[in-house]
Amino acid sequence: MKKRLIYITLIAAGMLAGCQKELLTPASETAVATLDLAQFSTVLRVQGQVLGLYAGLRAGDFYGGRYPVYNELRADNYIAQSSNSVTAYQTYMYTLGNGAQEVTGFWGSAYNTINRCNLFIEGMAAKGTGVVGDAVGKNYVAEAKLVRAICYYSLLQLYARPFYDGQGSKPGLPLRLTGNSVAGNYDLARSTVAQVYTQVLKDLNEAETDLPLTYTTAVNNTIRAHRNTAIAFKTRVYLSMQRYTDVITEANKIVSTAGPFTATTGVAHALQADITNVFKTPYTTTESILSMPFVNGTENAGGQSAIGSYFFGTKLYSLNPDGIIGDATFKAADKRRSFITLSGGLPYMSKFPTLPAANFADYVPVIRYAEVLLSLGEALARSTNSVDAKALALLNAVRTRSDATTVFTAASFATPSAFFDAFVKERNIEFLGEGLRTPDILRLGLTFPARGGVAAVPPTSSQYIWPISGTELLYNKLMTDNTN
Amino acid sequence: MRRKLLATFVLLWCIAVQVHAQTRVVSGKVTDKTTGAPIPGVSVIISGTRTSTQTDRTGAFTLAVPADGAKNLRLSFVGYVTKIVPITGNSLSIILEEDAAVLDEIVVNGYSTQKKADVIGSVSSVTAKQLENKPVQSFDQALGGKAAGVQVTLPNGVLNNPPVIRIRGTNSISLSSSPLFVVDGVATYSGDASGSSAAGNALASINPNDIERVEILKDAAASAIYGSRAANGVIVITTKRGKPGKAVVTYDAWVGTTKARNLPELLDAYQYVELKNEGLRNAGLFNQATRSFNLQNDAAGNVINTNWYDYIYRTAYSHSNTIGVSGGTESTNYYLSAGYTKQEGIIQHNDYTRKSMLAKVDHKEGKIFAFGGKLQYSNEQNLAATSSGSLSGEAFGTGGLGRLAIVTAPNVAPKNADGTYNIFNATTIGRGANVGSDVGFYNPAAVLDLDRSNNELNHIQGSVYLQANITDWLYAKSVYGVDYIFSDNDSFFNPINGGSAASGGSASASFSKNKRWVWTNTAQATKTFGEHNFSLLVGNEQTRSTVNGFNASRTTLSDPAFNSFAAGYATPTAGGTVGENYLVSFFGSLNYNYAKRYYLTANVRQDQYSAFGADNKKGTFYGVGLKWEIANEKFWTKAGLDKTFSSFSLRGTYGTVGNTAGLGNLASYSFYGTGLYNGSPTLVPTQTGNDQIGWEESKKLDLGINFGILNDRITVEAAYYKNTLDGLIYSVPQIPSAGLPSEPSLNIASMYNKGYELTISGDAFRGKDFSWSPSFNISYNKNEITSLSEGITQFLTTTSSLESASISQVGGPLGMIYVVRTAGVDAASGRRIFIEKSTGKKVLYQQVAPAGQFRYTYEDGTEAKNGISLANDASPYKNTQPKFSGGFDNTFRYKQFDLGLTFTYQLGFSIYYGTNSGLRDQRFWNNSTDMLRRWTTPGQETDIPKIVNGDNVSNGSSFPIDVNVFKGDFLKLRSASLGYTLPVSFVSKAKIANARIYVSGNNLLIFTKYPGSDPEVSSNGNSNSAAGVERNSVGNGRAFTAGISVKF
Repeated sequence: MKKRLIYITLIAAGMLAGCQKELLTPASETAVATLDLAQFSTVLRVQGQVLGLYAGLRAGDFYGGRYPVYNELRADNYIAQSSNSVTAYQTYMYTLGNGAQEVTGFWGSAYNTINRCNLFIEGMAAKGTGVVGDAVGKNYVAEAKLVRAICYYSLLQLYARPFYDGQGSKPGLPLRLTGNSVAGNYDLARSTVAQVYTQVLKDLNEAETDLPLTYTTAVNNTIRAHRNTAIAFKTRVYLSMQRYTDVITEANKIVSTAGPFTATTGVAHALQADITNVFKTPYTTTESILSMPFVNGTENAGGQSAIGSYFFGTKLYSLNPDGIIGDATFKAADKRRSFITLSGGLPYMSKFPTLPAANFADYVPVIRYAEVLLSLGEALARSTNSVDAKALALLNAVRTRSDATTVFTAASFATPSAFFDAFVKERNIEFLGEGLRTPDILRLGLTFPARGGVAAVPPTSSQYIWPISGTELLYNKLMTDNTN
Repeated sequence: MRRKLLATFVLLWCIAVQVHAQTRVVSGKVTDKTTGAPIPGVSVIISGTRTSTQTDRTGAFTLAVPADGAKNLRLSFVGYVTKIVPITGNSLSIILEEDAAVLDEIVVNGYSTQKKADVIGSVSSVTAKQLENKPVQSFDQALGGKAAGVQVTLPNGVLNNPPVIRIRGTNSISLSSSPLFVVDGVATYSGDASGSSAAGNALASINPNDIERVEILKDAAASAIYGSRAANGVIVITTKRGKPGKAVVTYDAWVGTTKARNLPELLDAYQYVELKNEGLRNAGLFNQATRSFNLQNDAAGNVINTNWYDYIYRTAYSHSNTIGVSGGTESTNYYLSAGYTKQEGIIQHNDYTRKSMLAKVDHKEGKIFAFGGKLQYSNEQNLAATSSGSLSGEAFGTGGLGRLAIVTAPNVAPKNADGTYNIFNATTIGRGANVGSDVGFYNPAAVLDLDRSNNELNHIQGSVYLQANITDWLYAKSVYGVDYIFSDNDSFFNPINGGSAASGGSASASFSKNKRWVWTNTAQATKTFGEHNFSLLVGNEQTRSTVNGFNASRTTLSDPAFNSFAAGYATPTAGGTVGENYLVSFFGSLNYNYAKRYYLTANVRQDQYSAFGADNKKGTFYGVGLKWEIANEKFWTKAGLDKTFSSFSLRGTYGTVGNTAGLGNLASYSFYGTGLYNGSPTLVPTQTGNDQIGWEESKKLDLGINFGILNDRITVEAAYYKNTLDGLIYSVPQIPSAGLPSEPSLNIASMYNKGYELTISGDAFRGKDFSWSPSFNISYNKNEITSLSEGITQFLTTTSSLESASISQVGGPLGMIYVVRTAGVDAASGRRIFIEKSTGKKVLYQQVAPAGQFRYTYEDGTEAKNGISLANDASPYKNTQPKFSGGFDNTFRYKQFDLGLTFTYQLGFSIYYGTNSGLRDQRFWNNSTDMLRRWTTPGQETDIPKIVNGDNVSNGSSFPIDVNVFKGDFLKLRSASLGYTLPVSFVSKAKIANARIYVSGNNLLIFTKYPGSDPEVSSNGNSNSAAGVERNSVGNGRAFTAGISVKF
């Protein structure tokens, strides 16, 4: 009897004990493991990845605020009200070193997004297109290419000499077009500026071919890329390269021959009658070609990265009274002056007015139709070296919708050069706070004007562009820093 | 009638007894071996029968004994060695010895027990008496100084925060360096289980008074049986159990008080106004109307002069009560204890309450089966108003109480005359009469009164076992245990002032359910063949842990009258956590000795762990040891050496064990995670996996000599050890432009710890009335990183993600202090002199450079163009790991009095006293009285630079400087207790067997040159590579207690 009990006990213990093999390979219940490219296994997951590419663009260190903020603060329109180096003070002061958070943060953020695009493009070829079908697969890959182009273009604006300087022969960026997913040796030298631009244009051209013409909702037409987005972005890229005839070619695809200027195919882009409508809910007018959405509560902009936090919410930088807001031709009645709010006796840029309580949930524009019109106008003017009639009409289209009292005529400009300058000034007024000012200065080789105790920075200065990320230099043995 | 009972007990008895009708009467008296005092309540049983009695209050007993057959009496009493005496004559005089002596001879490793003399591995033991009735929340806080090679540091004065425990050095870089804890055979949770600003040590669920003994397994031979989890050492806790005999009731209680000690001396309102205005003037900013600091009167017309320490610190009161009953028969014993303790911390509203209960039963059924189990439950409340600023990651929080106490201006009041809180806006205290500048962060009174950050832990640890003693040399045992921690957090930030006031207040709740089961099956054979003694253990064990949790936070309170999470709020957010892991192991242990002279031990364990990479699931670990007990050799005796050395052994062990503590459950996978893009789901790369990831490997070598002199009255243990650590996990930085979502963790780095340990204990003096038992230990440790990853020679570790004051370099120890060097203050100008690293030149700093001058200049007045920065000018300065640490324990006894003194010490290390830079910061922050000796006149020699408003560079706020680095060496009188055992003649009238009253103190004296409040304090808690950094922490208080221990 006792013996039997012992044996039963032992056998039971032996059978039950041991090992439950399945518990040794737990599956995540919250994230998708990449075994067998499971991230491409369903339509929903592929769609999620596409939106994830935009989410990369929207990161706090990128279009989620800091990238346009840097481009604003480097130029002449702001006066620092804080000396906190966490909030871009060194960018403002031109005292950035290789290790500055701005320098390493934006670099990392943009390349992180590039890698997402690369992994996505490869994964679609390997598996994803089979899941979603050829037609949709092409659309998605085109979106990835467009996002990748924006990343490279944006990196060029801060880490490389402008294209005009040696026609793109200066050091550009490490050009990464394959996806990385595990630890490895990723040493890679810089391509030239021209080589990077060539890739940007290649991506945009391919995107133009494969992107959908439109989406079914206004919001998707604003927050996702469609064919006109690729075209519009090309006008920006060509303008930065001073390839004006190409600007014209691209812009003409989406700008009607006569006013009111609209896009006649794809999404029907047009200027809004009232510019303030572009910057408020629902932020999805046809003027916004691509914007980054934020949703209070669930998709908050960061307290130290949101544009609104720098310029209005926490008032870190006030507007420079000697900057564009001090320009007499920027008239008091100009609707765009409604984006200037006085607080404590200082002017602040209130284009992104959502307060911290609502988590700065303003959409951030990446590109809007007014830019295409002004780029086309400027390109027409510069390529013909004249006060071109259509260029004039385009300039007036932007000016008069906010300031009906100012109508430029050919007589307003003594020389073609004065006409060119009018475009630059109009862009300065129109896109104040949207991060176009630094690229505009760079593409033309202008000097960053002095302001508020900060000396002017001429194109010959090493401060004209940023240094390369210190961590990139540390770990990428083929990487070189920017020198004069 | 005849009846036969068989009982097999541990070598002590195994006897058949008959009961007969004829009896005789035996009487006797039982006394204590040490004190000679009679012991009442001793259970006296005729061996092999159920006939028993108890001694009376004079220690006397009488018992009717069968005339024939009854040979022995068994005398047992809790706390004493059970004794079997032959019945010789009718009047017996019996002396009982206290238990500790016997317990010292048994060592528990979690799976089996061994006699201490048979142990080969390096094991330190700590007994109940060293842990009981201390004013601590958890037993591990009382382990400091008790064992060589075990460094226990209390990193701050927040109640119930887990101490930092390092066994033979810091043995990991990225994973945990804390030991594995095993309670009654079940590997338990450790670390902070709280999710709030109140710490919640998972080990505090065990009432320290329920602990019988603690073993610390240090080398591979002792710890290899724990395989992949043994690299940081193993701490094995055995709780008390009942002993055969009449039920014994114990009651222990103490009350105590704790006070903050050695807080920095701060400027009062008058001094603050004077110095801050001087700073403004020196900066050219002073303007009485728009920019000035001013005194202000309260409603009664008195100048407001607030000492914020009075609002943030307090004299804390605590008490603890434990009642227990235990006893048993020869076949069944039981133990039941219940504890209640309520303790206050030195910070306002930091409270700790524990209700705990432990029930244990062991039963033998017949000759073969034994069955039993335990259930331990505790409910703990860890309460705090808000962040103390002292737990890991909190150092720079604007709401940290440690910081608010020193930063807030003394010339403003917590409340306005009308009783409302004095506030400027949602996040800053009111400015009072000061103009043009903030004078503080949060209003401490508002956050202390209105906020809360509470945690409640419900902790259940239970186990059952079934053992079959198949033969007298072979048994099989199955133990199933559970360990559940339910952690509930409840926080509220008020809508008036503080962390969430800008968004109208917030409340959050979170719940985390940690569940673990452990099932262990072992079989052990113990057999002797002549002089060959064998013991073989084989086993299988599974450990399964899961965690599930959710959290929710709600912001913008609908009605400021409410503060409950359940009230109305505008914005909800919610989240959850989930995790699991599984460890399955097979292990074996062989112990052999020949004639108690030559000893061999070999342990092996194979672990398969779910967190290991798919290609690296299985690891095998082992430890072997040899020992030679020379004192048992004939030649030793022949040479007469046995007259001096009662024991003398040489031992050596070697083995390979692993570390997995802190390894992410799913660290091997590459992941895509979800998010949102305008309300639609996104899927993006979130983790760079490594399917090769595995355990960190520790090769442990241990060589030792143990000897005893004068019949082991003095024992000496000396050891040399070396832990060679390979495959340490390091997050290898990847080229940023590769765009990986995270730095992959690779088993790539190497390090070692080596050192010496010496323990000397004994009865220095043993007399009838007076005795002194000292125990001294010291250990020396050297830690060196030997490699990190290809091309990587160093890394910085930040304090609270902000300040990089710690650097670890290949060829040096973990966590050196990383600072910019300085060369005093320029007597001519009062400017701080920095040393530019690249040139070695002196660079003078001024906060405000007049026109034509520069902020940074060389001595010749030319501009130092690069300025001074951490990146360019800092260098590794001093080590933060103590070279020497140890303790000195003393027990004195004079008649009925006993005195215990425990000293602990750590030597040969430095501390970066970052708080000091804040205390000298020239923003609006209040300063220490050091600033009264600031530079004011040319030619003045002083260590404090000229004060200039806004200057956060000269004194080290902006980047760490050597001025704030101090030697940390200390000797602490960690605890002292004076007890008096009431005379038996007195207490026995109240039917009390034994009663002791005592007073004790904790943290009484600190001998140190360190100027901060406490050289043990660290901002980075359990960090491996950022120890020895103190920023805005709350130090350990000084406690006094008085208590009573009674046995019935």
